[in-house]
Amino acid sequence: MNWVTIIWSMVASASLTLAGIHGLVWYRQRSALASLMFCLMATATAGMAACELWMMSVQTTLEYNYALQCFNVLRWMITLSMVGFVHFYLGTGRKWLALSVCGLRTFGLLLNFTLTPNIYYSSITELRKIMFLGKSVTIVEGTPNPLMFVGQLSLILLAVYLVDATMRGHRLGIHRSLIVGISMIVFVMALSLQTFFVLWESMDTPIIASLFFMGIVATMGLELSNDMVRAAILASNLQNREYELHRERQLTDAIFESAPGMLYLHAREGQIVRWNSQHEKITGYSNEETKLMKAENLFRPEDLTKLNRSWDRAFSKGSDEIVVDLIRKDGHAIRHLFTMVRVEVRGKPHLVGIGVDLSSQRALAIETAQHNEEMAQLAQMASMSELSSSIAHELNQPLTIILSNAQAAQRLLAREKPDIKELREILDDIVSADIRAADVIKKLRTILSRGVPALEQVEPMDLFDKAISLAQADVDASGVFIIKKTASNLPKLYADRIPVEQVLINLIKNACDAMQDTDPPSRHLSLSCKQDSGFIQFSVQDNGCGLPENPERIFDAFHSTKPSGLGLGLAISRTIIRAHGGQLWAESAKNRGAIFHFNLPLDASNS
Amino acid sequence: MTTKQKVYLVDDEPALLRALSRLLRAEGFDVTTFNSATSFLETYDPTLPACVVLDVSMPEMTGLELQQHLINSASNFSLVFLTANGDIPMSVRAIKAGAVDFLTKPVKDSELIGAIRLGIKKTEDNQSLRNEVQLLKERLILLTNREKEVFTHVVAGEPNKLIASALGITEQTIKVHRGRVMHKMGAESLAQLVRIAERLGHLDSN
Repeated sequence: MNWVTIIWSMVASASLTLAGIHGLVWYRQRSALASLMFCLMATATAGMAACELWMMSVQTTLEYNYALQCFNVLRWMITLSMVGFVHFYLGTGRKWLALSVCGLRTFGLLLNFTLTPNIYYSSITELRKIMFLGKSVTIVEGTPNPLMFVGQLSLILLAVYLVDATMRGHRLGIHRSLIVGISMIVFVMALSLQTFFVLWESMDTPIIASLFFMGIVATMGLELSNDMVRAAILASNLQNREYELHRERQLTDAIFESAPGMLYLHAREGQIVRWNSQHEKITGYSNEETKLMKAENLFRPEDLTKLNRSWDRAFSKGSDEIVVDLIRKDGHAIRHLFTMVRVEVRGKPHLVGIGVDLSSQRALAIETAQHNEEMAQLAQMASMSELSSSIAHELNQPLTIILSNAQAAQRLLAREKPDIKELREILDDIVSADIRAADVIKKLRTILSRGVPALEQVEPMDLFDKAISLAQADVDASGVFIIKKTASNLPKLYADRIPVEQVLINLIKNACDAMQDTDPPSRHLSLSCKQDSGFIQFSVQDNGCGLPENPERIFDAFHSTKPSGLGLGLAISRTIIRAHGGQLWAESAKNRGAIFHFNLPLDASNS
Repeated sequence: MTTKQKVYLVDDEPALLRALSRLLRAEGFDVTTFNSATSFLETYDPTLPACVVLDVSMPEMTGLELQQHLINSASNFSLVFLTANGDIPMSVRAIKAGAVDFLTKPVKDSELIGAIRLGIKKTEDNQSLRNEVQLLKERLILLTNREKEVFTHVVAGEPNKLIASALGITEQTIKVHRGRVMHKMGAESLAQLVRIAERLGHLDSN
């Protein structure tokens, strides 16, 4: 073993290894042409090292000639792949220079094959043995061929190409161009010098071009490996980022889905970018349809001016909200409150927000109101004021018939020949109207006295609660505050529930009316309920205008202190309570206002 | 009184319709009765003026709804409301919408008859105004476009010279047009012509 064999074999094997690695890279990723070029170059370098070893041990001129031909082919291959590498890796070289280099080198190769013995020597005089790195190697002596300058020129051009590509790459800020470029330039220049001295100055060394190329291959390989490392780091970063994005996306998806109503994100021009499943459920449009829609398609055209104003405010001020009807796909309008907040998505302003269905809340309110109304109707008996107005109507109708008929009869009688037949008809109508009026009054009496009430077991507190809930609207409208004072464990009483509730409602409403002139903060209505020997006593106390001098008068029928009242409420109430075997009376409160009491017997047998 | 004045009675109570129509016939009116607002709307001729006495609360269609129908139909009518239990808001609504009166049952004969007479007078006045405007409209159609222009300028109070320069014709021609406008519209003086324009304009703005 000697150094020559060791070095050249190492060069060859190292080059082949690198070629193998990058050949594999190119095989996996066909677009990595720089790797392919590198692979070709490294392979050729390995070949060149082998070729040089051969040249160092040739015995005949002819054999040397073969070896040199072979060497030239490899050299051509290296040059071309090097140019290719620079072209694909740096991408900064001038094309015409690259083509010139390749052209000249190819031309040189052709010359090499046509000239005898080759492009380097016009004639080879002798083969000599010299000692080189501890090995006896063959070198040649001959007359250099002047046409060799073609090869040298291509080397210089290659250097120029490399310098140019490096400079341009450097100017463009491509960091790697400097390392790759400078190393290439240095090795190419060194190679040129060595060849020059060997051929022209007959320096006593064999051709060692593969060493220089190995240098280039090594730097290029290093850079490419760096690139691979960088790519790997980038890839793993990308993967992490992707994972994080995925988690972020999952998080926002969860937030979108957890919203109680529709949640949306739309662009300035109105395209709906993201939405949750509620959006689909509420609008009735499928995801495919929503993709093609604009936010404005979900509303009435006449609402758009108002909406556009709101959107403009949200985009300019950062947020806004609006109450507007959302029009479903099936045409149904649902009142919504929309909130919107401006966000930047991919550098463009968007609005994100939720829509709260107000109709469901409103529907709830309406339902409650309807429920209350039904409860009131369940009470069956019309309220006192309704009763009075219906009495008025029922009585007025026959009275009008009687009056008009009588007046018509007066006119007929004033004529010279009154129409007796018509007068008889008139009198018939008067009689039947009169009977009708009497019927109304009879009916009224039955309603008011009602004979024996239909008694049932009733919790005293239930009466209060039901009456308050039925009178609640009036209480609220009058701005009255109710105070309930009740004893615990009151025994049940026997009463006809509905009329007694009506009495309580009537008393509560009267109290509210009486406090119209009272200062709003002191509009207190206290309701109390207590046991008093065999009775349960209910009291309703207000601090309103109080009672007249003779309180008993207010219980007379048709006595009214209110401009719109008929004065029947208290009279009817007293009748109802008396029918239960109880009493209804009034007294003045200590400071101001009035107290109405009524009591109901505990045991049914008392009534 | 040459022709009997027409009165329509609308109430859902047959006995009341009989009583009131007896009273009104005895007073000399030509009475037609209807037991519902819908049967009235189906039968009556909207081109004729009408004085209607009606109940406020009726099943199917109330008196106030009937009033709205008549307003929308643009017919010439006057209304007297009768009610057993009308409240103040209801009466205000009826009167605001042009009712002659809002009377409560039982109604005094003098009040009812007075209200009906007032209603009939109102429809008659209205009718004569309508007729006059109709006549003026027919006359207006006879004017040429140029004459209409001159008419507009003249009633705006512009002197002939100004109208001539505005329309780009001679003052003499304006005088001729002006004479024709006066003649065709049946006006004897500028003051009359202005009044005619007012009537027409008044009608247009309606």
